[in-house]
Amino acid sequence: MDVLMPQLGETVAEGTLSIWHKNVGERVEANELLFEISTDKVEMEVPAPAGGVMKEILVKEGETVEVGAILAILDDGTDGSVGPIAPEPAPSLENNAQHLTHSLPAASPSVASAAVSPNHDPRRRLSPVVRKLVAEHNLNPDNIDGSGLDGRIKKSDVLALLQRNAPTTTDQASGSSTSLPSVDGKKVIPFNRIRRVTAEHMVRSKSTSPHVHQGVEVDFSRVDRVRSDKGVAWRAREGFSLNYLPFVARAVCDAIVEFPHVNAHVEENSLVVYDQVNLAIAVDLNFEGLVAPVIQNASSMTAVEIARSIAGLAARARANQLTPGDHLGATYTISNNGSFGTLFTTPIINQPQVAILSTDSITKRPVVVEQDGEDHLVIRPVGIVTQAFDHRAIDGAYAAAFLRKVKEIIETKNWEAALP
Amino acid sequence: MAELTYREAVAEGIAQEMERDETVVFLGEDIAKAGGVFKATVGLYDKFGPDRVRDTPISEQAILGAAMGAAMTGLKPIAEIMFSDFLAVCWDIVANQIAKIRYMTNGQVSMPLVIRTANGGGARFGAQHSQSVENWSMMIPGLKVVAPSTPADVKGLLAAAIRDPDPVMFFEQKSLYSSKGDVPEGEHIEEIGVAKVVREGSDVTIIALAAMVPRALDAADRLYSEAGISAGVVDLRSLVPLDTKTIFEQVEKTSRLVTVEENPRLCGWGAEISSIVAEERFWDLDMPIIRITTPHIPLPSADELEDMALPSVERIFETVRQGVD
Repeated sequence: MDVLMPQLGETVAEGTLSIWHKNVGERVEANELLFEISTDKVEMEVPAPAGGVMKEILVKEGETVEVGAILAILDDGTDGSVGPIAPEPAPSLENNAQHLTHSLPAASPSVASAAVSPNHDPRRRLSPVVRKLVAEHNLNPDNIDGSGLDGRIKKSDVLALLQRNAPTTTDQASGSSTSLPSVDGKKVIPFNRIRRVTAEHMVRSKSTSPHVHQGVEVDFSRVDRVRSDKGVAWRAREGFSLNYLPFVARAVCDAIVEFPHVNAHVEENSLVVYDQVNLAIAVDLNFEGLVAPVIQNASSMTAVEIARSIAGLAARARANQLTPGDHLGATYTISNNGSFGTLFTTPIINQPQVAILSTDSITKRPVVVEQDGEDHLVIRPVGIVTQAFDHRAIDGAYAAAFLRKVKEIIETKNWEAALP
Repeated sequence: MAELTYREAVAEGIAQEMERDETVVFLGEDIAKAGGVFKATVGLYDKFGPDRVRDTPISEQAILGAAMGAAMTGLKPIAEIMFSDFLAVCWDIVANQIAKIRYMTNGQVSMPLVIRTANGGGARFGAQHSQSVENWSMMIPGLKVVAPSTPADVKGLLAAAIRDPDPVMFFEQKSLYSSKGDVPEGEHIEEIGVAKVVREGSDVTIIALAAMVPRALDAADRLYSEAGISAGVVDLRSLVPLDTKTIFEQVEKTSRLVTVEENPRLCGWGAEISSIVAEERFWDLDMPIIRITTPHIPLPSADELEDMALPSVERIFETVRQGVD
């Protein structure tokens, strides 16, 4: 039996074989992990399409081949008359009734299991094209709003969702290309896929959206007090440090309630303003690329929950375990560059969103505060919070008022109460 | 361009080819001096004379037998069967002889023959003179099946049928004879087997043939203005060869397919298209394929009943509107 490069997405034409988990001569069971592939969109583990002995490996690790290419030959005990079969990376479905109504040609085990439901909700009766799209893009139908009869998910619902999330600044990094030798005093590093995608997106974002940048100086004293009071216990309990980001994220969600137009997409000649905040957090992958996984419905979370979500997403991002679903639905993005000591950053909008916030270093500075009619020089932890906004969507006064609100919340909110 | 009726385009298409090629001859009942019972062949007798434009006895088998012999011996006959219902008495000649000759002679004998016939309902002619029977021909290997919806296509596709080296069943829809449209002047020829997207749409694709094309277009207008549904309309133009490329392109685009057939439901051409699309484009579908047809009944002659039986603009509109939800 031929083992083929599977189709991983409608627009994905080729993939790179990253790891073989079986060598020639080794036995592999059906659905046992056989190899891993990476594309510009995602890293993916692929199980064996059938049990058998690895007869020949035709595509080595690191090679990039087209979808459908023969990767290996598996001796599965048949005489070869069976046609080539691409691995179906979905678990087999046990229940026939489920199979009839809910089976999916899913591209990943996690999605397939999420898509299988024992009930007969009309929402879950997916049409062939919806099943195909859901599988190709690794979506969970539960997260798709259906606009059809009785909430049925239509093709247009999936396409709208994909379009909202389509190009991101951020996709999975794939492989290092910095280990090339120098020739004639220089080395040429070809863009890998994530660089190409990032480059394309950045150019398009800049040419699509007239960017305006504004920054406010924020006094983080109240946040700092909580961090110093509760940081040690937090670290012991949660297993990661409590930094400034969850506080900023919570403040952004609060401020959006008053200034919802920054939490929006531009679609054709309309501003689509979202009720809930799906907050993308930019995560650097050890200088190998940038991803912006999404905290779904961050607006409904406490600062604590946001902190846990950020830590979880960042860990999965660095372990290369994000799925395309983690990139879906973002309505606002925060980029945090503070750990490198930057004073401020002018970020590029994550299309089709209309604004992106940057937090930078927070350092102790002399600050003049007025108290009882007198000026006092005090030491405060201060940082600049910068926002880029799309001037097609909103104007400077609105964006500035939003920033002022973010500043006010960070500086005055009772964070002690927000944190256990 | 000249504005012609559908029936005038028939005569113009035949005349174009008879002028170009003297082996083209035309025979049928009352087609010569009388100009055809539907007045679709007026003027041909005067122009080309009794040798090339011949009235025949009232015997469909005689017409097609003579036409078949003429085609086998070097002429390019156009035979008219006045009502397509009468093809029923012709099937041995059509299905067993005309459709098979090239194959059974290993290509030594060709059959450049056009069988023109007035097809379909809406004219209160009753159950024996109103049937839409294009699907009868579609199921016989060896026949091409053409059914134009506009005067321009009548002229262009009739010319193509006459030049075709194999037998072509050419269905003229009776209810369209008086419809008008721009027709290219001078030589005009279309390609058989190419469907035409007559209206672009993004939400649903309606495939129609002959008289159902203008009805589908009217329904598409209403779907857009009254329901905000963008319906594309494909004029199939020929059933054999079937332009699956265009059908697939539209299905890939809209993911929703509706066929509108004047033939009765069972084994209508839409069933064949549904089957092909279900097999080859299943993963593009976002709703079940819907067939709108005349029901499986002898067509009534009473005005209101006949109108209820044939797919109407209202029925197409309502069916698509509900289906797309």
